[in-house]
Amino acid sequence: MSQLNGSRKRKLVTRAIPDAQDDNDELGDALLGGILSQSDDEEELGDSDLEDEDGEEEDEESGDGLDDEDELESDEIPSEYGEEDIREQIRNLKTADVDGPNGANGGLTKVSGAELPETTTEPLEEANTEDDTEDLKPNYRVTTDANGNPRYLYREIEPAYDSDDSDAPATTNTIGDIPLSFYDSYPHIGYDINGKKIMRPAKGEALDALLDSIEIPQGWTGLTDPTTGKPLELSREELEVLKKLTRNEVPEEGYDPYPDMVEHFTSKTEIMPLSAAPEPKRRFVPSKHEAKRVMKIVRAIKEGRIKPYRPPEETEDEDPEVKRYDLWADEAPRPDHVMHVPAPKLPPPAHDESYHPPPEYLPDKAERAAWENTDEEDRDKEYLSRDHDALRKVPGYDKFVKEKFERCLDLYLAPRVRRSKLNIDPESLLPKLPSPDELRPFPTACSVVFRGHEGRVRSLAIDPSGEYLATGGDDGTIRLWQLRTGRRTWSVKLAGDEAVNVVRWRPGTEAFVLAAAAGENIFLVSPPRRKTRCRAKLSRRAGRWMGLRSHQRSLRNERASEEGSRCQMDPPRLPARRKGRPHQNNRALNRQSNQLAPPRRVLLNRIPQGQSSAIAIHTLSKHLTQLPFRRLKGLAQSAQFHPSKPIFFVATQRTIRSYDLARQELLKILQPGAKWISSFDVHPGGDNLIVGSYDRRLLWHDLDLSTRPYKTLRYHKKAIRAVRFHQGGLPLFADASDDGSLQIFHGKVVGDLMENATIVPLKVLRGHQVKKELGVLDVDWHPRQPWCVSAGADGTCRLWQ
Amino acid sequence: MSNPASAGDQAKVRIQLTTRHADLGLPQDTGPLLVSTSLRRIQLSSLVNNILSTPRPVPFEFLINGQFLRTSIDDFLTKNGISAETTLTVEYVRALIPPTYVASFEHDDWVSSVDVLSASSAAAGWANADIPAGQEKILSASFDGYLHMWDTSGQLVATSSPTSHGQHPIQSAKFLSPTKLVSAGDDCCVRIWNYSSPTSTDNPSAPASITPSLELYGHHGAINTISVHAPTSRILSASSDHTLGLWSTQKSSAPAAPSDLLPENSPSLTSSNKRRKISQPSPTPPRRGPLSLLTGHTQQVSSAVFAPTDSSVAYSASWDHSLKTWDLPTGTCVDTRTTAHPLYSLLALSGITLLAAGTSARHITLIDPRTSARSIAALTLRGHSNAVVALAQEPGSWYGLVSGSYDGSCRVWDIRSVRPGGAEIGGGQVGESVYRIGRESLRGKREPVGGRGLGCLGLRGIGRSGF
Repeated sequence: MSQLNGSRKRKLVTRAIPDAQDDNDELGDALLGGILSQSDDEEELGDSDLEDEDGEEEDEESGDGLDDEDELESDEIPSEYGEEDIREQIRNLKTADVDGPNGANGGLTKVSGAELPETTTEPLEEANTEDDTEDLKPNYRVTTDANGNPRYLYREIEPAYDSDDSDAPATTNTIGDIPLSFYDSYPHIGYDINGKKIMRPAKGEALDALLDSIEIPQGWTGLTDPTTGKPLELSREELEVLKKLTRNEVPEEGYDPYPDMVEHFTSKTEIMPLSAAPEPKRRFVPSKHEAKRVMKIVRAIKEGRIKPYRPPEETEDEDPEVKRYDLWADEAPRPDHVMHVPAPKLPPPAHDESYHPPPEYLPDKAERAAWENTDEEDRDKEYLSRDHDALRKVPGYDKFVKEKFERCLDLYLAPRVRRSKLNIDPESLLPKLPSPDELRPFPTACSVVFRGHEGRVRSLAIDPSGEYLATGGDDGTIRLWQLRTGRRTWSVKLAGDEAVNVVRWRPGTEAFVLAAAAGENIFLVSPPRRKTRCRAKLSRRAGRWMGLRSHQRSLRNERASEEGSRCQMDPPRLPARRKGRPHQNNRALNRQSNQLAPPRRVLLNRIPQGQSSAIAIHTLSKHLTQLPFRRLKGLAQSAQFHPSKPIFFVATQRTIRSYDLARQELLKILQPGAKWISSFDVHPGGDNLIVGSYDRRLLWHDLDLSTRPYKTLRYHKKAIRAVRFHQGGLPLFADASDDGSLQIFHGKVVGDLMENATIVPLKVLRGHQVKKELGVLDVDWHPRQPWCVSAGADGTCRLWQ
Repeated sequence: MSNPASAGDQAKVRIQLTTRHADLGLPQDTGPLLVSTSLRRIQLSSLVNNILSTPRPVPFEFLINGQFLRTSIDDFLTKNGISAETTLTVEYVRALIPPTYVASFEHDDWVSSVDVLSASSAAAGWANADIPAGQEKILSASFDGYLHMWDTSGQLVATSSPTSHGQHPIQSAKFLSPTKLVSAGDDCCVRIWNYSSPTSTDNPSAPASITPSLELYGHHGAINTISVHAPTSRILSASSDHTLGLWSTQKSSAPAAPSDLLPENSPSLTSSNKRRKISQPSPTPPRRGPLSLLTGHTQQVSSAVFAPTDSSVAYSASWDHSLKTWDLPTGTCVDTRTTAHPLYSLLALSGITLLAAGTSARHITLIDPRTSARSIAALTLRGHSNAVVALAQEPGSWYGLVSGSYDGSCRVWDIRSVRPGGAEIGGGQVGESVYRIGRESLRGKREPVGGRGLGCLGLRGIGRSGF
């Protein structure tokens, strides 16, 4: 309302000025002004319409919640406008005279168009009508003032709405050229022409205060939440979001639209510190300057002006300020930690540590001697108890210095980190051997004793069918025994008084042929056996060269290995005795008639004295004898064929060599490490070898592994005479020794190359008597059963089951 | 303590008597008896005789918990930790009188096999022959290739005539009937002999003779054991060529002999046979072949027996650890039982469906051959110290057993006397021998004679005499 009042007053005031000026261009101005004003009005109306529409649109767009804001803004803008406007009006007042009414009109019409609503038109028209009538009446009333003088009270002139200066006089302030700030503390800002106060227009604060006084809860929208049915109120955060949205800001809290840039590539350019330029020459030339200085120092040292090192000072006594701490002075139990070294715990003193121990703790003579004889490190006690009557008689501790020194050494050499000592029983690291009970069956007891030989039995063999046992001994006879009952079924005296060294059966069950070596001869014998079909076969095949007879029995012989490379078959006569140098005889039983490959056995029965004919291979089907070595290194001890390949092994005194028969080359040299090899045997798989030696060792060789033995077994007290693998698939091997015992071992070989052979000692078989330092001379296995037979120097053979 | 009689009067125990003898059952169900613990076997035996009121006193043995009562009941209870307040189940069995040495039958060579013709023997039963007491015959086979017939007084009655191909060790000999014998040995041939006893012929003064009547060829290896069944005239042989032979004892029903196995056709022996033929004019007996050869074993067959109840079923034991059941008409292997050790001897116990097999591991295994049996070894009899090579059953008893071993002893077993075996021998049940019969003389042949004075225990044993 004050605004309205204000505007009225201004209109009233400004009335006078157009009156004074309208002489010049009233008409034109009026015409023009009307046109302009009309056009302005139209524009303004159109503008206002547009604005209204805009405002409505804004309303619709921004929703109902915006109304407050709108109101606030619309209020704010005039408030700000107001103050500036007033000043502008005042300025305009000053310039209006200069600029002319056009400018003032333009400025003022705008204000009036913007500020005054249409509601003011009707009173204006009334005022106009009144003005028309009032023109005739005096414009004042005459009253008396306080002094009684007439006072003219002028009626307030209502300016016509369309008058040119209706607005301009409203800004007329009569306070003159004084700063407006003088009125800051007053509600008015000056006085008009009538001396009335021009009230200060309402400011924003006042509107704010008014609006603030109207209590609208925060977030009030006037809407109803359809989900809850309660009035929908916005939270502070939502309002904040909305506010930000309206300001085209990112609604998210804490979002920084301008983060600091991370420079991935610095703008600095760095220069390579190293240079590829060649070193300057002066760096390689000895510096004369330095040499001069060095010479100076040297001279000074020589003359004694400079001492090269300071003599050590005695500092031991002079450091009372150095503090020493006892680490374990107040030792409290602490959790275990690597860096924590607890105080060593001393055991409580025992009785024998006393200076006056009870007599039972005093050592007697034997204990004293034992203590003094043991090494100082091996003593379980470091002291020997001594008896003293009184404490004053106890002498000084003689080892004090030594003990301190050792303690210092301990500290000096002690590792800083406590080492966790592994306390492992070394026995537990050994691989677990299966107990022998799990490895049954193996021979455990003697079941049959074969008696009959006079003198030692040197060799024995079980025939491939497993029913018969052939033995040969010092009495020059071959004997055939029924294995099951121990009955001798056949015997023959071979060659005079020469001992039978080796007997071996022909492999395979289709022929029943026994080979025996006696003296320098090899005899091939077909013992009588009631197997008519087999006999017929054998006779057909072997009849050509075995059709010999000797005495009444079908004894055949073949003799081989003359001197040099000669081989000679005996004519069909009685076994010939050959004269000459004693030689070792070999014989091979070859199952295939025409091929050399693979012969089943080569056997060697005497330690040779000749070198070239130490080993001979006899192909029986072709009557052919080959001497594979021109010169053999060392004394040949034994020879064996590989069970499946055309390879044969020759043992000399120290080594075992394997030769390929087909390619005629040396394959491998095994060095068992024994001093004197007595015998060896090849595992039926062909990859393992056992070696017995006269120096009491039994050695297991893995041919794939190494040339050194995989395992050395030293269980015998005397020389080992014979070793033998079980050939029928059982993982057993046995050795025979001069101490009259056999030992049975479990030797399991698996096909897996990653796994080593398992060797378990199983059983010691005793029973043979030792005669003239000779015990068991030979051992052989049953081809299928876990039985073994042994030939003893006492003239008996034994079957172990 | 001071007075044992009064102590015995005070201590009493309740016993429940049972038996498995059908003819000696208790007259009515006598409840538990209250007897003094000081009683021994003799008092208990007289007590049972009193209850049974037998006309002649029968000696009894008493089994308590599978153990024979050898001491007083008191000691037995103390030893086994049994409370005297429990009721003891006491089984009484006919006492086995310990065998006594009667006679020695001297041979020139090792004796391989023995058979007895007596009233209780199978051969006499098949022939319905009545063998009076004192007329029993003993047949022995020797390694020298001859059969010998003895009477009970130790007199040599007859010796077999030499065969046409030399003498080979005989491994087994049996009575087929009182006048027919069967033998087999290392010459791969089963021979049937006629035995003409002097009493059976019209000329009493003529000496008894054993002459070959039939030779059966077919095996390639030595024959270890033969077994006969006279009603069906079948012979079963176990050979070391891994086969069993089934033969007929009748010439007419047997097929012809395979010609390549006959000794004349063997080329390696022709030279020696010529001379022998000249020196031996005796005609060769007819030759026949096998009805069938049963193959299946992988090693030599040590023993083969007919089933006691069904002659079409045979059992065989072999060194390959297996015991096979054969159906003879079809010649097929019905069942295979694999044990842990090579089997050396076999005996089918009549009356109970068990087979006793002697092993090379020094014990006797009782095997249930029925296919429904769960465990292979029903009972293990331990005690021998060497391989068990001969087994025989006590005549008239289902539970008596005699075994001969290479350790030079025979043992008499009662398989009712069992105790559970400990863990160290692998569980099962273990029996103990009742008697051990040592060799009577080092050079004598063993002939254990036992029983009730009438029957002899037939035992085929291998005696190793030193001749």
